Amino acid sequence: MTNVQQFEAFMRRYQNMVFSTAMRLLANQTEAEDVTQEVFLKAYQYFDRICASPTAAGWLKTVATNLSLNHLTRYRSRWSFFSELPLSGRDESRELEFPADEKNVEEEMDKAERCALVERALQALPAPQRVPLVLFHFDELSYDEIAEKLGVSLGKVKTDIFRGREALRRKLRLKLGSEAP
Amino acid sequence: MNADYEKQLEAGISRELKRLPELAAPDSLVTRVMSALDRRSRFPWYRRSWLTWPPALRWACFTVLLALFAGFCAAGSAMAHSRTILFAIRRMEEPLSGLATIGNTLEALAGSGVLVLKKFGAVFLISCSVALALGCSLCLGAGAIYLRLAFAKHEKAL
Repeated sequence: MTNVQQFEAFMRRYQNMVFSTAMRLLANQTEAEDVTQEVFLKAYQYFDRICASPTAAGWLKTVATNLSLNHLTRYRSRWSFFSELPLSGRDESRELEFPADEKNVEEEMDKAERCALVERALQALPAPQRVPLVLFHFDELSYDEIAEKLGVSLGKVKTDIFRGREALRRKLRLKLGSEAP
Repeated sequence: MNADYEKQLEAGISRELKRLPELAAPDSLVTRVMSALDRRSRFPWYRRSWLTWPPALRWACFTVLLALFAGFCAAGSAMAHSRTILFAIRRMEEPLSGLATIGNTLEALAGSGVLVLKKFGAVFLISCSVALALGCSLCLGAGAIYLRLAFAKHEKAL
């Protein structure tokens, strides 16, 4: 197997993981594809070192996260005083459509539909809420690490994550323990 | 918001998000990356990343840069002690003496400012600072409110 073939196999193994990381942070298909391409072009430079490494997946995930965050800070508004504003040209405030009846949505959907709904709800969150939420739940970073990575205060991270969770709970009509009928 | 509710919320959202499978990358991605690599491999060595240069060239480049840096340091040191340079610096000082006049004027203005402040006292200075800070905050706050109003989104009542 040549180096190119090896790299192609390596890419096929990890492309979904890298693409998911970028897509959940950026919530934009085209930008996520660009970042994924950039990640693998970088991986090719170090392929001799990472191809057999057990930490290859972690390396790819870290590079994908960093490139996505760079992309967000370079090409989109920074987290700022006006962080609640929807970004121009992007319909981040779009609402999801739900069935009209009041029954718990969870009971009515099969797993795939439920996953698609959660994915859409996550991507519909505004970036200042979605990004720390993704870093917390998918990358398993602590609040402090997220604050450091995003260059914002710890309080802001906590508030944004709480708001993001609340928005998701409302959109998914999640029933928590204390709210059970 | 109580801590218990926050914990339940965190657990509930975590459960939902952990269930999500990986998203499928588009089929065209591998082709895109491979053709980008192919394009790059056709570039001559000097147009590629320094990390991919042949080792001999990398060492040669590093040595040349090191020699250049040492050369600049040596030249700078020699120039600092050169008579010609010292003479040139003295020549340049003459036309720049006009700047001293401007400096004196600024000093006199600052002195008169200090005299005014002394006359009105520290209360006046503090009041001015507070008024200035309030003015700035007011502008910033009003700007934020106008922007929020301009881009306010309608939240559907769920």
